[in-house]
Amino acid sequence: MSSAKPPAPAPVPPPPPVKLDVVAAFLSYLIPGLGQLTQGRVRKGLLFMVSLYALFFYGMYLGSFKNVYLPDYHPNEPTVNRLASDIYTRFQFVGQFPIGMIAWPAVYQYVVYSPDDKSPPLGGFMRAPEMDEINRLQRDGDKTWDLGWVYTVIAGVLNVLVIYDALAGPAFRELKSSPPQGAA
Amino acid sequence: MNIYWHLPILIVVVSLVYSATRHDNWNKIVHEAVHWGVRMTTFLIAIGAILFALSTFL
Repeated sequence: MSSAKPPAPAPVPPPPPVKLDVVAAFLSYLIPGLGQLTQGRVRKGLLFMVSLYALFFYGMYLGSFKNVYLPDYHPNEPTVNRLASDIYTRFQFVGQFPIGMIAWPAVYQYVVYSPDDKSPPLGGFMRAPEMDEINRLQRDGDKTWDLGWVYTVIAGVLNVLVIYDALAGPAFRELKSSPPQGAA
Repeated sequence: MNIYWHLPILIVVVSLVYSATRHDNWNKIVHEAVHWGVRMTTFLIAIGAILFALSTFL
């Protein structure tokens, strides 16, 4: 009776280390999918851009375009305390901010906010609504105002995954020795 | 309009984007997106059915 063991399989070489693409990650922060576009992954870049902007603007539409903002509720506090208090008050904006440049008007409106300003810049886009208007939107909106900000937050958080994809590639990498079919 | 009619766009976008961040191969992306879409839809329907039963029979 032979007790010879079958030959051990050849060890699989480890995949090469991932090169981090910081520039692409930053571009994907600015505009979802832009980093993937610059990396040559055009279809994925377009998928991210169209999908996340569709979700973000659909959420804004559900909220009558008045659910992405940073309110100035603590104007008399020192700058750091003021910002911390206002972000705590409107914590949703932490999730909306990663969507990129499209959320910057809210920051600009926060910086230049004045309650007496009758003609706010950018036509009032992403300006903090008055409390009466927020109450009206929540009362008359059939829950869509709240559903809308949830959608915008989900779009922002999904863009964090997109930024990481631009930085380090997908979670499961394909080895170069076996080119995938239909790769992006 | 029922608020639940707004859910399909959320399910489609989350499934596609999440799957696309896990793979570069489009066959795998679509395959995994369909799986996640079915899982999320099933979960939401189950939760909806449970809440409906609780509000109806309790």
